[in-house]
Amino acid sequence: MNEITLCNVLPDVFSTRSGYHSDIWQQTVTLRRGATYLIEASSGTGKSSLCSYIIGMRRDYSGVIAFDGNDIRNLSRRDWAELRQRHISLLFQELRLFPELTAWENVQIKNLLTNHKPDSVIASWFEQLDIADKRDAKVGQMSFGQQQRVAMIRALAQPFDFLLIDEPISHLDDDNARHMAQLLQAEAAAQGAAIVATSIGKHLPLTYERTFSL
Amino acid sequence: MTLIWKLLRQHISLPQLGGFFLANLVGMTIVLLAMQVYEDILPAFRGEDGFLRNTYIIASHRVTATSAMSSQTTTFTDEEIADIEAQPFTRRVGVFTASRYKVFASIGMGGHYVGTDMFFESVPDAFVDADLAQWHYAEGDAEIPIILPRSYLAIYNFGFAESQSLPKLSEGLVSMIQMDLRLRGAAAEQTLKGRVVGFSNRLNTILVPEAFMAWSNATFAPEGEAAPTRVIIEVTTPTDDAIPAYFQEHGLESDGDQLDTGRATFLLKMVAGGVMAVGLLISLLAFYILMLSIYLLVQKNAVKLQNLLLIGYTPARVSLPYQLLTLGMNAGVLLLAVAVLLYLRGYYLDLLWQMFPQMSEGRLMPTLVLGIALFALVSIVNIAAIRHKINNINRPA
Repeated sequence: MNEITLCNVLPDVFSTRSGYHSDIWQQTVTLRRGATYLIEASSGTGKSSLCSYIIGMRRDYSGVIAFDGNDIRNLSRRDWAELRQRHISLLFQELRLFPELTAWENVQIKNLLTNHKPDSVIASWFEQLDIADKRDAKVGQMSFGQQQRVAMIRALAQPFDFLLIDEPISHLDDDNARHMAQLLQAEAAAQGAAIVATSIGKHLPLTYERTFSL
Repeated sequence: MTLIWKLLRQHISLPQLGGFFLANLVGMTIVLLAMQVYEDILPAFRGEDGFLRNTYIIASHRVTATSAMSSQTTTFTDEEIADIEAQPFTRRVGVFTASRYKVFASIGMGGHYVGTDMFFESVPDAFVDADLAQWHYAEGDAEIPIILPRSYLAIYNFGFAESQSLPKLSEGLVSMIQMDLRLRGAAAEQTLKGRVVGFSNRLNTILVPEAFMAWSNATFAPEGEAAPTRVIIEVTTPTDDAIPAYFQEHGLESDGDQLDTGRATFLLKMVAGGVMAVGLLISLLAFYILMLSIYLLVQKNAVKLQNLLLIGYTPARVSLPYQLLTLGMNAGVLLLAVAVLLYLRGYYLDLLWQMFPQMSEGRLMPTLVLGIALFALVSIVNIAAIRHKINNINRPA
């Protein structure tokens, strides 16, 4: 998948609102593979909605979102499963981890599906993000910052063309944010993938080709 | 798979699934048991010498007050016989031919001399249920073979002989007695010898070979040919409940309880059908419990299921654990129901064998096929419903 195009997209909840400025809503925007984007927003501007549309979780918008020119409203369940396994990875703002499983199992449940990375690599990521000691801890018992790192590793345990990260470092210190930035930049570069990061203040320290204001 | 199962088994309610399992087990067992009892009892009706075996039914027109008073005929026309022959339950039909001359039979017995007016009838040899070794007649033979109803001997022994202080007779002894038969028709009169060569349970008449009947009717009463008043029907399945219905419809009646087999079959069908319906109802309710329980489970795990789908799992893959769960439970119910069935069957077969030692065992296969069919049907609906439910979760808002 090479590009994501948003054409005149507007969340249904904003349809009655008028007179606001956005670089995304009701514009034509193309996100290309290989680039790094930042979407800056204040709360309530539809940042997570945008992620939900692109991952196929919600459809409450007008306009057209297209992957390589194909309207995503026409995609089948099978297509979505394939996209979510191989082409788009999303680090959810609310993480969507499984609290009953350990940190390691949360990553494995994805990696077993994609067979993307050997266990040794995943173990090294745990080291790199400083949560190696939490490997076998239940995610439900971890801090939010630790959970964010587990979710990050899970998001990387698959091949992707676009990596969407929705407020990835809201609960991380600068050191950890830097480690995370290095890790995902390396992975995205290895795959020639795009990174689309959203932020309401604290940016993941990356070099952004373009910054959108939502 | 184990990780997904670890996730999705959360919120599984053992009491609910246990309740389903028990209820479905009861329902399934009742259905299968009703089916099997039906299958097992039917051969007892049908068996080679089954207790209700009446492959032969003797039919006559019902004599009513009006038909007796009027000249209304009680004979069978050729069309009526052809119609009976055309029925699906009929294998073949034989007509009774009656003698058209008078018969006086007498026996000398220990000084006593017993004599009586009587009559003869004949049916095609194939319908005769006695030893046929002596059952032949050719013109000029010295003796006429005769078959009596076994009930006549009983009437004599326990009714007549008892009250008249006469000796009781065995079948062998009767066969040794030669009787004088005086035949007198419009055209001729002759005295012949006769001997009882056998006793029939089936044919309630004094029977002579057809060959003799043809000769004697031609000799003593050559004029005319009377239509038969009784026919003997060999039926394919005496248990066929179409037979009593046909008799009812055409104003026919049979000797004694010959139609009871068909009636009993009808009753058996009704009872088995009723019991099966109850079993099916219980199974249906159990199925409903299972569906509710699974729906509840899917609903409680909706977030987990949605997250699995969002990280790339296919609906098929996340449906699989619940589908396997229901499949396993349905299979368990089937196996256990069959086990219970076999156990109970052992019991009642022993009882049946004590009552009907000659009974042959019914087939198990139809019941197993029914069980497997039910299992397959329920499982397919379960699997489809689970998939449908999970697809609903996967539907974008």
